[in-house]
Amino acid sequence: MRKMSSKATNLLQPRASRIKQKLENALEASILELDDVSYKHAGHAGVKDGANETHFNLKVVSSKFDGQNLVKRHRMIYDLLGDELQSGLHAISIVAKTPKEVGGK
Amino acid sequence: MARSLANTVLKGIIGSHHRAATCRTLCQQGTIAYYSVSSDAGTHDDFKSISKLADSDISLKDVVEKDVKENPVMIYMKGIPEAPACGFSSLAVRVLKAHGVPIASRNILEDQELKSGVKAFSHWPTFPQIFINGEFIGGSDIILNMHQSGELTEKLKGATTSNTVKRDD
Repeated sequence: MRKMSSKATNLLQPRASRIKQKLENALEASILELDDVSYKHAGHAGVKDGANETHFNLKVVSSKFDGQNLVKRHRMIYDLLGDELQSGLHAISIVAKTPKEVGGK
Repeated sequence: MARSLANTVLKGIIGSHHRAATCRTLCQQGTIAYYSVSSDAGTHDDFKSISKLADSDISLKDVVEKDVKENPVMIYMKGIPEAPACGFSSLAVRVLKAHGVPIASRNILEDQELKSGVKAFSHWPTFPQIFINGEFIGGSDIILNMHQSGELTEKLKGATTSNTVKRDD
């Protein structure tokens, strides 16, 4: 598992980069938006001081979600992020839609 | 004996920041908190323990299975329904309260083994986790989504009976 890299030119924090990469690759996402909202959760139960990259908001649109209910979609994402969840990622708020669901309405 | 102690302790600690230490004692005894929304003022009389882990040989899996079987609406959360310790748990409780159903809960913050056991049981890495009529529903995102779509109302139709309902085994 790669430790935190310190690429000064990369504005994205390490975990966010890894998450984006894993999800983009596996889900072939047409839309993937990831926001670090750890600052909103700093200090609450279970989160250590100086919380960073512990809580994210994720929106992902992928045809791989076709025919999958919400639990299955979220499980797909959680399975892909297993390593992150073991290493300090506390929570992700997930919006997981199919292309039809975002374009259709 | 411990049950009345639990009641007394629970009555005294709502809203208090010292609840953590007290709850730890309770949870070591394996007390499940039962929250009824029938009187919304949050009266402490509605809190009552409905089961205890009297036998330490009961596995976590058995505990979870029993919880979700015996309680139409079961939430594993951070904190307790009257004092959630996390925004997601708070949201889940608020959504469920809006449907006026009795909620049974366990505070996973006070018991690391329970926390791991529930994650393994549902194959889900985060909390809160909501079960309705024994079925794993998901976390706060999902329950909110189902509430907005009307699906939650459907799911809860069979869940408005009292906590003592037991199906024939």
